[in-house]
Amino acid sequence: MSNGANAIGRRGLLGGAAAGAAILAAPRIAGAQAKVIRVGMPTVLSGRVAILGTSSRTAVQYAFSRMNEAGGFGGRTLQLVERDSKGRPDEAAKVTRDLINNDGCEIIIDGEASSGGFAVHEVVRDLPVLCVHTNSETSSLTADPKLHVKTAFRCARQGIHDAVAGGVYASTISKQRGLKRWMTCSPDYAYGRDNTAEFLEFARLYDPAIEVVDQVWPRLFAPDYTENITKALQVRPQAMYSALWGGDLVSFMEQSNLYRLFPNVALFSSSLGDPPVLTAIKQLPPGLHTAYRYNRTYPDKPDNTAFADGFAGLAKHEPTNWAWQNYVACQFIGEALKRTNGRTEGAALAAELKGMQISSGLAVDEKLTMRESDHTLIGYPTAWGRTVPKAPFVEDFAPIAWSQILEMETQWKKQKGYA
Amino acid sequence: MRTGLARDLGIGLLCLVALLALPVLFPHPSLRDFLIYVIAYGLLAMSLNLLVGLTGLVSFGHAAYFASGAYVFGLLMQGGAVSIPVAMLAAVGGTALLALVIGAICVRLKEIYFSFITLAFQMFIHSIILTWVELTGGDQGLRGGIPRPPFLGIDLGEAGTLYGFCAVVFVLCLLVMRQVWQSPFGYTLRMIRDNPARANFLGVDVVRMKLGVFVLAGIMASVAGIIMALFVSGAFPEFGFWTTSGEAIFMIMLGGTQVFLGPVIGAFLLQLLNHYVTIWTHHHGLVLGIVILAIVLGLRRGVADYAAAWLAERRAASRPAAVPGPAETPAPAETKAVG
Repeated sequence: MSNGANAIGRRGLLGGAAAGAAILAAPRIAGAQAKVIRVGMPTVLSGRVAILGTSSRTAVQYAFSRMNEAGGFGGRTLQLVERDSKGRPDEAAKVTRDLINNDGCEIIIDGEASSGGFAVHEVVRDLPVLCVHTNSETSSLTADPKLHVKTAFRCARQGIHDAVAGGVYASTISKQRGLKRWMTCSPDYAYGRDNTAEFLEFARLYDPAIEVVDQVWPRLFAPDYTENITKALQVRPQAMYSALWGGDLVSFMEQSNLYRLFPNVALFSSSLGDPPVLTAIKQLPPGLHTAYRYNRTYPDKPDNTAFADGFAGLAKHEPTNWAWQNYVACQFIGEALKRTNGRTEGAALAAELKGMQISSGLAVDEKLTMRESDHTLIGYPTAWGRTVPKAPFVEDFAPIAWSQILEMETQWKKQKGYA
Repeated sequence: MRTGLARDLGIGLLCLVALLALPVLFPHPSLRDFLIYVIAYGLLAMSLNLLVGLTGLVSFGHAAYFASGAYVFGLLMQGGAVSIPVAMLAAVGGTALLALVIGAICVRLKEIYFSFITLAFQMFIHSIILTWVELTGGDQGLRGGIPRPPFLGIDLGEAGTLYGFCAVVFVLCLLVMRQVWQSPFGYTLRMIRDNPARANFLGVDVVRMKLGVFVLAGIMASVAGIIMALFVSGAFPEFGFWTTSGEAIFMIMLGGTQVFLGPVIGAFLLQLLNHYVTIWTHHHGLVLGIVILAIVLGLRRGVADYAAAWLAERRAASRPAAVPGPAETPAPAETKAVG
């Protein structure tokens, strides 16, 4: 479609396209390597939340090296092929298709954050390999029956479980210490607002005396929280809940320290318990309340400590919340492969994973369960603890009974029309 | 009938045959996926170039229409009341209306003010997508997939058929844009780009012309969004974020603004680079930045524009030297339509 002046340019374009097509068409990996089971991982490896992907990748590499050293599965070993989605859902869908179609990956560990996780979920609906979501905390991914995909599972904490656990813990503390005036400070996007609303719903369910005197919503990735902190100083709440996370939470804490906010206000945080956040805060105030994200001392089991040491040996930092979730996902996949003797058909592996229970250092009791009804993980740590200035940074973990969480989850599902 | 229309139709048909033949010659699913991606982003870049290259309007907010197409189409299909063609027409129609309203305000401004008001409208639409969670799914995007029920015996749930459908829609859109590119309307837009005051003195309603091409560009971007929504079976707020507009501008810079197919070439090169660089390194931003810097500083224009100019120079040099008569005097470079 050009005039005479660029007719050759068009031929060049077509030639270039054909050459590009030829390059693309040639499989990057020569033939199927029957002895190796290639496991694809779309995740975020660059940008502001790259630690999500890098710590997930290291956890999987650590788990695979242990499984391969133990002899693999039916004579087959595991190999990780990771791709950076740059945090873009459309890119996540594209690289997942590419991992399956071009790189010959037979299993997908989806290390995407929530929106990317939904995109990967739809790819797996089209290309039904086994997929384990390891970082998406949005409950509807597995709770909503309309979204159900037969070969997709979630091995990660999720919003509704955290909300119930947080509500139970916060209401216990509020009753003990008479904390009636509450304020919230959470990021202004869907996760921040939903997470805060669910926390307050359950906290007030167990302690109706809780009164929310103010709510502030700093924008996501805001560098300056002075306005929110001074508002808190004016309002003078007795307690504050925050769903800030990552670098935003570190900035908020550092700036709050300048105003000495938290000796006077009891902070309840959903994400402070992640080791990279705890270690990044120069002066961590003691006595802040945080949900469990990861800690080498809890659950207090040798397998957990061994995982923390093994991971830290590779990554040169403590495991993150994402790290343990990916490690446990590998344990589930490994057990399923053991039972299929190395067969990787999505349906066969999914049949094994349904309702599977495994012994794990990350289980609150003895075993972690991949619940059959909605393909999601239960039995993982949902405890809350209090900060201390030195390692292990969080202690006095107070576990929340899973029976209580499951009871409230059932009611929540009914309210949402999921059950 | 415009001179050259038959030739353009013929070339369009050849392009379509080539696109359909590629997956047959190289039957690898990843090639098909890659080409759909290039088609969607290529169409977005081509539509933006109607504003940037043809009219001289640098829009920073063009992804708003890409997102609008994807979301309206996705929501209608999830509603289950309409077929794919009806949902596509409604998405295109809805986006045209949106572009008409936004364009009616934007095209009255010039240069950087135009660029920034388009950006402001895009961020406004992006904010609506993020905050209207009940409708759009907020930052999680449209969840649950986009159903693709068969219509007229065409099943877009089948990967090969989806690719063929995208290729046909792509070539049809290219033909429409080509007609505009070569039409009196297109030449009027070039005149507005080069000298709006002169166009005004000649009786051209500049605002109306700009508004017309603004709406057309929005329509084409919405088709690109529909293709992307079909491919990923979802719609996400990132579709309407400023970085998507920036990527389309990148593609135009890479491919060139004056050769008709330049933006598609830019889209192809950028996606190819992105594909391979992402496989081998996580520092893809650095590598892509260096490549684009080299092109901008080395060629000082897009690849296709550079190639077209180079070929034109070679042709001129190979011609026997002759003193041009008045009839042979070339038209001013600024108003010459290339490609």
